[in-house]
Amino acid sequence: MTADIHYRPRGAVTGLRVGAHPSRQVGGMGTFRDLVPFAAHPDARRIDVRATALDPFDTTMVRRLRQRASIDVYALVDLSASLRYQGNAAKAALVGELCAALARSATRIGDRFGLIGCDAILRLDCFLPATARRGVAADVEMLLEPSRWVGAGAEGLLEAAPYLAGARKMVFLVSDFLLPLDLLRRVFESLALHDIVPVIIRDSTEGADLPEWGLLDLADLESGARRLVFMRPALKRRWLAEDAARQTALRQLAGQYGRTPVVVTDRLDLDDFSRGLLEA
Amino acid sequence: MILNADHPWVLVLLPLAVLPWLRSPHRRTAIGSIAVVPADRLSAWVRLGLRIAGMLAIALIILALSGPYHGGRLVSRIGTGAQLVLLLDRSGSMSDTFAGRTPEGAEESKASATKRLLRDFIGRRPHDLFGVAAFSTAPMLVLPLTDHQDAVLAAVNASDRRGLNFTNIARGLGMALSMFAADRPDEHHVILLVSDGGAVIDPHVQDQLRALFARYRADLYFLFLRTAGSKGLFDEPGPDENTPQAMPEHFLHRYFQTLGVPYHAFQAESPGQVEEAIRQIDALERYPITYTEHLPRRDLTGWAYALACPPLLLLLAAKLMEARVRVRPAATRPDRRVAA
Repeated sequence: MTADIHYRPRGAVTGLRVGAHPSRQVGGMGTFRDLVPFAAHPDARRIDVRATALDPFDTTMVRRLRQRASIDVYALVDLSASLRYQGNAAKAALVGELCAALARSATRIGDRFGLIGCDAILRLDCFLPATARRGVAADVEMLLEPSRWVGAGAEGLLEAAPYLAGARKMVFLVSDFLLPLDLLRRVFESLALHDIVPVIIRDSTEGADLPEWGLLDLADLESGARRLVFMRPALKRRWLAEDAARQTALRQLAGQYGRTPVVVTDRLDLDDFSRGLLEA
Repeated sequence: MILNADHPWVLVLLPLAVLPWLRSPHRRTAIGSIAVVPADRLSAWVRLGLRIAGMLAIALIILALSGPYHGGRLVSRIGTGAQLVLLLDRSGSMSDTFAGRTPEGAEESKASATKRLLRDFIGRRPHDLFGVAAFSTAPMLVLPLTDHQDAVLAAVNASDRRGLNFTNIARGLGMALSMFAADRPDEHHVILLVSDGGAVIDPHVQDQLRALFARYRADLYFLFLRTAGSKGLFDEPGPDENTPQAMPEHFLHRYFQTLGVPYHAFQAESPGQVEEAIRQIDALERYPITYTEHLPRRDLTGWAYALACPPLLLLLAAKLMEARVRVRPAATRPDRRVAA
């Protein structure tokens, strides 16, 4: 049995469907919330005999319980070609693996899972409306096969907001985040209603594993632009410093809109990912 | 300084020199976004330097392939001399001595003496164009008109081999005349006919030869090597031998006189007389002649290759300096679950 991803939406879930997450909904199932007079909550099944007997005014008291509700989980996936990067692992494969695990985990606890793929536009061929169907994980794996990553740019992420209208949802924004911070800010703003979890797919060959010396002829996976770089320790230090600064800026930006990013480096460890989600 | 090339068409390939600006020769390393690469001035210089090196290497190699040189012109100069065709008799009797015997000991055959004296003659006239033809039964083109003295000397050297026993002067003359250009009035044409016997020329062929001489305007020198006891050129025939068959040399002489071109006949009965005759010819044939001289040229191919070498070495060094992003084998990757 594969491990599941354990996630907790921020705040109370507003959904009406019964599920696994604490909600503001008051109902007949769940954990104890408070005692109210029978008149206020006429649920005869939950009459609290002890509280009623103890009540000095002989009011019939009813236990109100916190209903647990389900939430829609969406994976908003950056389908730009930069995720075709192949280092210690293929980033695209990691994304597919992650989304399939999310779909499996979500449907197992009664949440619905949906998928939105974007590059320069919102990719309708890679769109899956939220569904509680159990087989959705297999669909997600099929939709996210590596040949989908062909686009350049990620402006399509801005078009996703209308597809996510309505109740508060949990949105995993999966990307390598090699995007302009300005674009990211606008994406975060457009999704501000939702619980956004940025998931950064990284590879250690992009940072720490860079060579110390030598010539690297770099080719941008999206634009195809080439640049010859003469690597040397000083340049690598500068590269890593710039990278670290960028990651910090990303954390700050994401933090302003909810959560700090969860980073997946080289391999996907679901337990690790769950822990990262709790810390985020 | 005039640059020139042996194969100029190779230079058509020169636009290939822009290739380094269009394509990269290095191993491609894919990266998610080029924007994360820090701007680096040294890298930019290396980039520019390698492109220029690639361009230079391609351009210089193409230049080298085209075979560049400078100098090496043909210069036309005016000297004194003539275009001279040596028409040598190769009949068997030329291998005999002037006494009409097979040479023994220190005796010299007519052919050897002629050869030796002609060599001196050629050596004294550096600006002449020489051609060599020989004849016995049929004419042989030995060497067309050329200013390469070595070739001429070699051709003359080979002229004392034994030949066949027939003398076909008419066809030999025809071949000698055909070496000249008919449409160059500024050239001076000379035929030096060396023979030890006359031959009967058919009247029909006589007319053809006369026409040819009129067309090519060649001076004719007839060096007759008279063998002891035989009839001479200038001997008047007796009443009973007044036919070409009886005295072919004399009738040949008379025919040549009617050709309408400057004609000199020399009769030599010993090597000394041959030398005297050749000296006279040398003195007579002094005309202005246009000759061409090759100025030596300097081959620049080596220089082009040498100049292409440093850029090539630079490119090689760059190729060897290429780094590779090393992918760690799965086993050595840190297992974050254990680490956490």
